Amino acid sequence: MRGLMSTKFLVLILCMAGLVRAQVTYERILKAESEPQNWLTYSGSYKSWRYSRLEQINRQNVQNLKLAWVYQMPITHRFETTPIVVDGVMYLSEPPSNVVALDAATGRQFWRYRRSLPTKINVCCGQVNRGVAVLGDRVFIGTVDAHLVALHAKTGAVLWDVEVADNRTGHAITSAPLVVKDMVITGIAGGEYGIRGFIDAYDAATGKRRWRFWTIPAPGEPGSETWSGDAWKHGGGPTWVTGSYDVDQNLIIWGAGNPSPDWNGDVRKGDNLYSDSALALDADTGKLKWHFQMVPHDVHDWDSVQVPVLVDTEWQGKPRKLIYWAHRSGFYYVLDRQSGEFLLGKPFATQTWAKGLDEKGRPIRNPGIDPTEEGVYVWPGVQGATNWYSPSYNPLTGLFYLTAWENKGFYRKGEVEYVAGNRYIGSAPKIDLDDEPGFGAIRALDPKTGDRAWEYKLHNKPWAGVLSTAGKLVFGGSGGWFNRDRQEAEGYFFALDAETGRELWRINLGGDMSSSAITYSVNGKQMVTMPAGSGLFAFELP
Amino acid sequence: MRYFLILFAAMALSQEPPVKNPHTDPTDIAAGAKIFRSHCAECHGRQGEGDRGPKLTTGVFFHGSTDPDLFSNISNGIPGTIMPSIFFSPDQVWQIVAYVRSLRETHNTSKPAGDPARGRKLFHEQGCVGCHLVRGEGSVRGPDLSLIGSQRSPEHLRLAILDPNAQVPREYWVAKVTYENGTEYSGFLINEDSYAVQVLDFARGLLSLSKHDFRKFEIDKSSLMPSYQRRLSPAEVDDLVAYLWSLQPPVAAQ
Repeated sequence: MRGLMSTKFLVLILCMAGLVRAQVTYERILKAESEPQNWLTYSGSYKSWRYSRLEQINRQNVQNLKLAWVYQMPITHRFETTPIVVDGVMYLSEPPSNVVALDAATGRQFWRYRRSLPTKINVCCGQVNRGVAVLGDRVFIGTVDAHLVALHAKTGAVLWDVEVADNRTGHAITSAPLVVKDMVITGIAGGEYGIRGFIDAYDAATGKRRWRFWTIPAPGEPGSETWSGDAWKHGGGPTWVTGSYDVDQNLIIWGAGNPSPDWNGDVRKGDNLYSDSALALDADTGKLKWHFQMVPHDVHDWDSVQVPVLVDTEWQGKPRKLIYWAHRSGFYYVLDRQSGEFLLGKPFATQTWAKGLDEKGRPIRNPGIDPTEEGVYVWPGVQGATNWYSPSYNPLTGLFYLTAWENKGFYRKGEVEYVAGNRYIGSAPKIDLDDEPGFGAIRALDPKTGDRAWEYKLHNKPWAGVLSTAGKLVFGGSGGWFNRDRQEAEGYFFALDAETGRELWRINLGGDMSSSAITYSVNGKQMVTMPAGSGLFAFELP
Repeated sequence: MRYFLILFAAMALSQEPPVKNPHTDPTDIAAGAKIFRSHCAECHGRQGEGDRGPKLTTGVFFHGSTDPDLFSNISNGIPGTIMPSIFFSPDQVWQIVAYVRSLRETHNTSKPAGDPARGRKLFHEQGCVGCHLVRGEGSVRGPDLSLIGSQRSPEHLRLAILDPNAQVPREYWVAKVTYENGTEYSGFLINEDSYAVQVLDFARGLLSLSKHDFRKFEIDKSSLMPSYQRRLSPAEVDDLVAYLWSLQPPVAAQ
């Protein structure tokens, strides 16, 4: 008996020591676009194009797409995840902070990590999660109780678990981490709780923190002159959407959100740097290289929490490293990636708050736009003209795609007092105006001019971003939030011609879409997935 | 002192003052057991071993491990799960709490005799880390032992070392597959449905294998772990058990 088991044991050890499946190295993530069968990082690559070179599904055959499988979460909550796919295994997060590994061909489950959470969780807008990151044999997730956790990719076993910040003071992590070199980069949420925002880097092997960049400077630091009194201590500037990485310059490009309190700026006179800013940080040190603030002294909650799209191309006859950025306030920006210099800014949706931008990109505000006790109407509404859901850039069409909202908001100002762990917002605006709810659209912009190339109009305002592919397709989802009382939500997943915006295929998935599609291939078959309601739906050609 | 620190930490963490179960004597436990058998056992098993509902014998509870957590979850049920509320008096709910606490497998066992430090050394020398994971170190070729001291009694741990085949959890059964074309796979059987099996293949990692062209599909329910009956002296087994038993959650439940 003993001899038999020893032999079996030996065979196991030999097998394990032998062929090991290729792991996700940093080098693989660097060249993610050259292995389009996988989806290795949140936005598809460090440039964050949310674009795939796969073209098996294309304009000629997309109308034949059929359901391959559905993965149903065992809980009902908003499903905002972007899955990661590595060599046939899909890793996705579920609300509130769980992780599941699935077979990417069938949707069958390999393992699950279910996080035990405190009874009370302070998080603004739902206990959601937008995805995981992968490096080596590790899967990383940020949690709503503001921890960062490393799991074993084969079993889901916890390898380390560190507290990033205290959830009892309103810190939470909802965004997917970004792996850069041997580090895990994470942002933080809590702009409605008066946190002081930051971007952190952790050692992927040990969970030890390498650096922290505070998005709100302390007294004496550069930028601190843009704050009055002690307001910086609870100044906001959260960083709750995964940024991008400029490999050549070793810069992490990441957006910071609203200053706190959101709608009452009386306690925080000044521009309130680095709230509502694009930030470029040295990846090794976390030191700020440059910043560009879209909305100085924001009082409308127009976070710069969008995915920065990095493109190297000709700009006015010369090669230049650019960032394309469609901002929540309704302006589309082109920035220089080496200096942060403003190159172009143009509205992509109706806005009534600024006459325009000056030569440095600073907005020239219209009078009467700040929230008052009685309330004022301003375009765009509080959820912006776009938001955190992903845009896409397609190098074949040269177009920039985004989900846009045409809507106005009613902004009210109220009293505000900081009490740790409670909301710190200064009143609340009305979001959906019954008499004028607005509408949504998928829009294609010429990224070098900001001019609209086409529009696909939607009745409701979607919460889903876009994916574009070498099959010259744009995938998106229609919107509204499904709840017991409102009937107007629609749940269509659709494919558009990337050159013209013409609808080529659609299917009603009957639930909220609060994420963006991805594509990958397994066993030679291209798949497209989209979360809707509690399900992740996977489509393929017959 | 340690107990005080833990208590102090628990007080600092919870926003309500801590409440201790006022009903914990043997008659309370017996009364709680009676209610448990008629109302709880259907899902949690007669001895709290778990069935449709989770196992209750580890001392760690997913929705909170303090007395007030248990009281609230038993009284009010747990939203989003099939755990219902009940309508017993507060005294009776406390009796159920007392009974549930008494189910903890390691609750009434005194600290095992061996030396945990020597056991830890053995754990590394004997190659245990080659297969098991402890707090992020080791491998995933066997169960994660990071919290095993709170999950298994010393007797169970001893048995697992001396006779690994005595109890092999389903997820450590080994699937052996041969396809019609002769390709072979071998790994832990993670999951199985009508059309496919999901395995942690020893050579290739996580795989889903279509049953369509299976020539041979065997499930080996014996453990991959060798017996340490003749590899360790009785004193060394004691040390190893003591080490494993020392692997407890960072903040122990009450």
